[in-house]
Amino acid sequence: MKEIVELSNQTITIGRNEFLKVKGSIDTNIYYVESGSLRVFILDEYEEQTIRFGYKENLIVSLDSFLTGKPSDFFIQAIKKTTVKVVTKQQIDTFFKTAVNSNLWTNILEGLILQQMEREIDLLTNSPKERYQRVLKRSPQLFQEIPNRYIANYLRMSAETLSRLKKS
Amino acid sequence: MQSEKLIQSLLEQTREIINQVEQLRSYDFQTLTWKENELSWNTLECLAHLNLYGDFYLPAIERTIKSSTAKAELEFKSGFLGCYFAKSMLPKEKLNKMKTFKDKNPLNASLDKSVIDKFINQQIKLLELLNQSRKVSLNKVKIPTSISSLITLKLGDTFQFSINHSKRHLAQIEKIQVVMKKHSA
Repeated sequence: MKEIVELSNQTITIGRNEFLKVKGSIDTNIYYVESGSLRVFILDEYEEQTIRFGYKENLIVSLDSFLTGKPSDFFIQAIKKTTVKVVTKQQIDTFFKTAVNSNLWTNILEGLILQQMEREIDLLTNSPKERYQRVLKRSPQLFQEIPNRYIANYLRMSAETLSRLKKS
Repeated sequence: MQSEKLIQSLLEQTREIINQVEQLRSYDFQTLTWKENELSWNTLECLAHLNLYGDFYLPAIERTIKSSTAKAELEFKSGFLGCYFAKSMLPKEKLNKMKTFKDKNPLNASLDKSVIDKFINQQIKLLELLNQSRKVSLNKVKIPTSISSLITLKLGDTFQFSINHSKRHLAQIEKIQVVMKKHSA
């Protein structure tokens, strides 16, 4: 991860509720969160659904745009004041041309696939309590970094249900 | 210009506008309602003025996209009038005064911070319409202007015109803040 962050020569700071990316834009950058926190969400007619969070030392990317170079439906928004380092697709491509580095890339992608599978199981789990426990076990830090209402949305439950589960 | 390039540019400009207005939320009410003199606008009035235009253009654009059968085209070419209107809106170094139509003048309306929420919601709607506009021709779809339903602009020009109009009043808001700081210093 350190090697990738070092490729960056650009830093962006945005305030609370400001957007790093909006729906429909093509964004092939990878962002490394230096401080603050972000959420990735989609918006249908009236409802937001949070897909992912990023906080200190995480990578955030619109993976669909990054891989295809096409528009992506994701919004990326700061939950609080956030500073990210920007790594461009071009910097990544150049870096991974060598064999050693290309192994590193495979590792990162494998990690992402595993995370996506965990998330898929989350979404297919019926019991709110079980969904909560799975995420708590996997990412205890999330509950320190991110306000409840966003976690509740991520877990597909009301904020009241989440606070009840946290107490029990 | 390629249609997708235009849409990407308009999405990015809208993102910047949203971010600029999100920063206004941290200002207190006194700052948001400060004005240089009785006839000039305060920050909330500038936003309310933009909201009045949004109330006109966003539903008009949505309706027209929904009912259009003109297929998407790879290239967009700005129209003569559209190009002129859009350019005339861009803020200049020294903001030139423009006439406001009476029905779009929010002067001394009683306003609160909900004006900011409404503005942001309109921008989110604009993003949605920009995305939907990929399905239709930015050239052949025509949107009536608020001046007269007989004067129409190409959809692509209407987007740029209305975004430039927002930029113009965001520049005005920046100027209000500068003048206010001078007065209080």
